[in-house]
Amino acid sequence: MIRTENLSKRFDGLLAVDDLTLEVAQGEVFGFLGPNGAGKTTTVRMLTALIAPTGGAAWVNGHRIGVEDQAVRASIGLLTETPGLYPRLNAEQNLNMFAQIHGVEDVPGQVRTYLTLLGLWERRAEPVGGFSKGMQQKLAIARALLHEPPVLFLDEPTSALDPEAARVVREFVETLKGQGRTIFICTHNLNEAERLCDRVAVIKQRLIRVDSPEMLRRGMYDQSVRVWLRVTPPGLLDAVAALPFVNAVSPTEDGLRVSLDDPETNNPSLIQAMMATGAAIQYVEREKQSLEQIYFDLLRESEAANE
Amino acid sequence: MNKRRIWAIARKEWLDMGKNKLVLAMMALLPVIMVGMILGTTWFLERTPEQDFTGSDSIALPPELAHLDSKTGTLILLNDQYMFYLLLIALALPVYVASYSIIGEKETRSLEPLLATPITTAELLIGKVIVAAVPSVVLTWVSFVLTAAGMYFITSTEVVAALVRPVWTLSIVLHSPLLALLSTSCGVIASSRLNDPRAAQQVTALFIVPLIGLSMAVLIGKIYLSTTMMMVATVVLVLINIGVLWLAVRLFQRELILTRWK
Repeated sequence: MIRTENLSKRFDGLLAVDDLTLEVAQGEVFGFLGPNGAGKTTTVRMLTALIAPTGGAAWVNGHRIGVEDQAVRASIGLLTETPGLYPRLNAEQNLNMFAQIHGVEDVPGQVRTYLTLLGLWERRAEPVGGFSKGMQQKLAIARALLHEPPVLFLDEPTSALDPEAARVVREFVETLKGQGRTIFICTHNLNEAERLCDRVAVIKQRLIRVDSPEMLRRGMYDQSVRVWLRVTPPGLLDAVAALPFVNAVSPTEDGLRVSLDDPETNNPSLIQAMMATGAAIQYVEREKQSLEQIYFDLLRESEAANE
Repeated sequence: MNKRRIWAIARKEWLDMGKNKLVLAMMALLPVIMVGMILGTTWFLERTPEQDFTGSDSIALPPELAHLDSKTGTLILLNDQYMFYLLLIALALPVYVASYSIIGEKETRSLEPLLATPITTAELLIGKVIVAAVPSVVLTWVSFVLTAAGMYFITSTEVVAALVRPVWTLSIVLHSPLLALLSTSCGVIASSRLNDPRAAQQVTALFIVPLIGLSMAVLIGKIYLSTTMMMVATVVLVLINIGVLWLAVRLFQRELILTRWK
């Protein structure tokens, strides 16, 4: 649905995006992570045919950027960081214009559908300048969806919102998952990316890594489980360390941390071995590195590689 | 060219303009001042004794008006000059609206979502041009009708007849749209290249200079406008408009506007 091949953008002397190659499948929610100035917005602007690449190629919904720009823009919806509404016009008037530009057949019906869906129908006649930021962003989402685009670009959709408004917007994006739309989200909010995205890409001008949050974890960290114990018998540590699938074991305040191969397969054997020593197990939990930790480690690795 | 998209832009701009009291006040004020000034001056001069229009310091009438008395001839020349001022309405108002309409998109950050739609640059600019030009042209025409109607009640039939002679009727009908179009295109060019609406307005104000010069030449009797002169002016204005509109579309670069406007 979205494909880039060695996509690059240079502004005068500044390389904003370098050699970006990635593919996003239909129906996928794809997160685009990176620090400020990493080239996220520039990439979105290239993929929405707003600015031209200086190198490489890209296709959105089968249309090539720079060749079929009008077709690209007809098949996408864009939500920018700021809603970009007309403050003196009311919600209905704001949407009407965009529905007409996109050639929506039943403009009043479609406007009503989305205003209702986003809980703004009752306030349709009010100038949007008086709306809260959250309501404005919801209206901007409605604007991006009016023409039922197969591809949706969300550029920092919640960064300018308070936590409550951000939650509302996030929940709405969650409802869009599974509707067959391809969603490309630029975000700083790693919890948001983890919650919403099937895969994430970490970029800093160049693509650093792309995968699902889970696969990133597996690729970067040992598989560890944490065991909470009510009774820790003597010799437990040695017994666990002797197991062939255990790579490392260390005591914690209330139990053990065990690094092992393939926890899904070996956890039952680990628990049996521990119980055989007389250990009273309270809980066993797989240890998860946060996406935030993965993100910072990836950026650090990338910086170290560049030095 | 998709008419529906052009109309969508124009409709939105008119709705927005209708809710902007500053723009509405600016649009209403200039025609009111112009018509009031023309009718007020004519009313005052009409009541001035005939002998005040004769003598060594009176205006030399051109041969075309030599058969008239000095007072009537002077009033005709004066009104010829005032008609240029009515044309200024068509020239001055659109640039204000046009420069605001593009730079206003910058202020509300609404240009990026708009440019991410299938609208073409030409459709967007034509929509903006229509929005700025149409009200200005209508206001110029209405001002002309009101001026002629007012003149009917306060001055002689010779002066009224001179005012509505083909030269001015054609000029108001043909030149006001052309001047409005020119002014709007310049406003669009300036506002897509500049960040400040005032700078855009100042650039377009330069077009007023030749119009003022022409009006002065008429007032001092150096030129008496003929239908031929007005038709030549029409052709020249059409050619200038084509060039400026072409330039406006070429200079409106989406990428430059998006990446430069912070």
